[in-house]
Amino acid sequence: MAQALAVTFPERDEVDFVIVGSGSAGGIIAKELSVAGHSVVVLEQGPHLQAADFTHDEWGIDHNYDMKWSTRQGYPQTFRKSENEEAELRDSVCGYAHNVGGSSVHFSGNFWRFRPIDFMEATVRGTVGGTNFADWPISYEDLEPYYTKVDWEIGVSGLQGPWDPPRSREYPCPPMPIKGSDVLLERAAKQLGLTPYPAPVAILSQPFNGRPGCIHCGFCNGFGCEVNAKSSSMIAMIPLALASGNCELRTGCTVSRVHTNAAGRVTEVVYWDEESVERAQRAKAVILCANGAETPRLLLMSESALFSDGLANTSGFVGQNLMFNGHSSVTGLFGAPVNAWKSVPTTRVVHDFYELDPNLGFYGGGGIDGRHPTRGVPLGFGLVSGQVFDGPSWGVGYKNNLAYEFSHVAAFNGHTTSLPQGSNNVTLDPTYKDKFGRPAIRCTYMDHEDDLATMRWFLNKSTELMEAAGAVKIAATYPETGQEGSSHLLGTCRMGDDPNTSVIDSNNRSHDVPNLFMCDGSTLVTSGRGQPTMTIMALAFRAAEMINNAARRNEI
Amino acid sequence: MAQKSLSRRTFLGSVGGTVSSSAIVLTMPMLLAACNQGQQARLSGEKFKTLAEEDAVELEAIAARIIPTTDTPGAREAGVIYFIDNVLGDKREEALSLLLQGLRELKASVALTFGVAYFHQLEEAQQDQALIEIEDTVFFDTIRYLTIAGMFSLPEYGGNRAYVGYDLIRFNSQHAWQPPFGFYDADYAEKGQ
Repeated sequence: MAQALAVTFPERDEVDFVIVGSGSAGGIIAKELSVAGHSVVVLEQGPHLQAADFTHDEWGIDHNYDMKWSTRQGYPQTFRKSENEEAELRDSVCGYAHNVGGSSVHFSGNFWRFRPIDFMEATVRGTVGGTNFADWPISYEDLEPYYTKVDWEIGVSGLQGPWDPPRSREYPCPPMPIKGSDVLLERAAKQLGLTPYPAPVAILSQPFNGRPGCIHCGFCNGFGCEVNAKSSSMIAMIPLALASGNCELRTGCTVSRVHTNAAGRVTEVVYWDEESVERAQRAKAVILCANGAETPRLLLMSESALFSDGLANTSGFVGQNLMFNGHSSVTGLFGAPVNAWKSVPTTRVVHDFYELDPNLGFYGGGGIDGRHPTRGVPLGFGLVSGQVFDGPSWGVGYKNNLAYEFSHVAAFNGHTTSLPQGSNNVTLDPTYKDKFGRPAIRCTYMDHEDDLATMRWFLNKSTELMEAAGAVKIAATYPETGQEGSSHLLGTCRMGDDPNTSVIDSNNRSHDVPNLFMCDGSTLVTSGRGQPTMTIMALAFRAAEMINNAARRNEI
Repeated sequence: MAQKSLSRRTFLGSVGGTVSSSAIVLTMPMLLAACNQGQQARLSGEKFKTLAEEDAVELEAIAARIIPTTDTPGAREAGVIYFIDNVLGDKREEALSLLLQGLRELKASVALTFGVAYFHQLEEAQQDQALIEIEDTVFFDTIRYLTIAGMFSLPEYGGNRAYVGYDLIRFNSQHAWQPPFGFYDADYAEKGQ
């Protein structure tokens, strides 16, 4: 239906908006602005996959990078821990799905809202030396209506309760049925006097908005949902945008540059189409929703005489303050089948340690949820089995352990804060280029010592929980020498009132360029405690409303 | 290598001429039938598209010590070698040349230590002894990685035939489940928690 109504716009005519990227934020903003009557062209580098394209192909997804793309597909990235090092070529550092709907198609769907503290923590908790830790220019209350919009327009399952941040409306769908891994977590947490509660997830527990409920196949994290129960922007927003008759979705389009004029306004977006022909779409305004790695790269590639350090980069903060979120994982072996590989990634969360005691001597906080240690994927578990519980890594012993362990394990995972640091960033690699000749994304990252201390704290707490859960064997791991990649790409064009220390204002508009907006993971000022997509989507609904209002007042 | 290769060659040959070029084109009913021909589904006549037969025999012998055949099927029955052959031909030139170089070195070492020409000619205990010597090498890591991948990837890639890998770990790739999913959530429901 939507396809039949699809509109096409001539490139040389100015459309109201070009949106770069159709993911969590881009899909929402495209829908909101096109339904509001604006002409919108969405440029998406990946294909428009549908539910029928999604399978349980672990080799393709995790090892061939079929959705994330890598050097194999002609998109190298590089990594180094500090700017004193030469960055190494890697298959994947900043991981994101290349398709309509972006990473909202392959995410785990864990949908915690940020809490009021997340928006004002630098003031409440105090600054942390050597970092750019700061308050947001907006509050939880400002964003709450848009969180609720995500709940109801995107589709979230959960249970209202005293542990939830304040909400104006109940969840549209009840929580998912509890999994064995979370029974173990819940019982252990209650023994320790904690308050576990149903994890909110962007996966439908029952039919909603014309989409079916989850069938519990277990292939959420990293995979597309084959029944459209997962609430991606691909299924929840893009069809509505196309049906508006005001939105043209161009897939297979790789953006190379945003052009500006002498007045310092953006005029057009230059890209290669699916035939690799270079084209340019003129627009009254441009909204970059390409994610926390691609958006800063595009701005840095769009330098000009007027913007010699990169577009919208007067602050020097474009690409800086990259935050991955910390993580830790404690795996336990149990005497009966847990079968954590079935159903959604997680169904319970412990948020009693959202803010750690400042007297510990470091900043941090987070949550713990129950999962399968390798996202339920068999190959991935086969690779780590043996190392996990110090057993043999090949041979008869390995085989026997593996045969037992896969269904008898549960993991309690910590999801924690990352501090914004200028030294953690996305820049243009001076050596490696992608297949279009664009500089590869170069990631420089080393977790702050407080972030590592936080991961360790959560590792220890999860171990305590695992002991209480009665695991017969326990193995704990966290990235103790620092993370070397993530799919959480946060903070690289952050929001703020001060143009010297932020890239966009509180309405997601560039401080430097009045008709340029950025909205995606790069917008976030702080990292939250993992699970950033809910907040990215809420910010997108809010930004769309602000942009629509500004357009109607002729203030763009 | 003593092949009882009735079997698959004859069987597959009778099905169609295209199968010899790629294990990927094999369909599940064919694979199931082929596996039912016997547990010894080794190098059964399907041609390799990337590896030389001599190298494939050696790699399969190593894979078969990483996930051995016991009372349940191992790497050999899963057709892991066909997975390895397929993926090495898919833009993995670096891994291929690393493996071939490693095989040459293994061959030399086996000749020196045991006085035989090939690893696959050794007794199992000798094979394990030879592998323990090299288990910290990138060569062994790569074969281990590909063996496990071949055991647990979808059969379309050539391994995990008749889902013997999934069966081993009691993973069922069916697309829909209903709660309870395991023991503990069943117990939770029973106790009305």
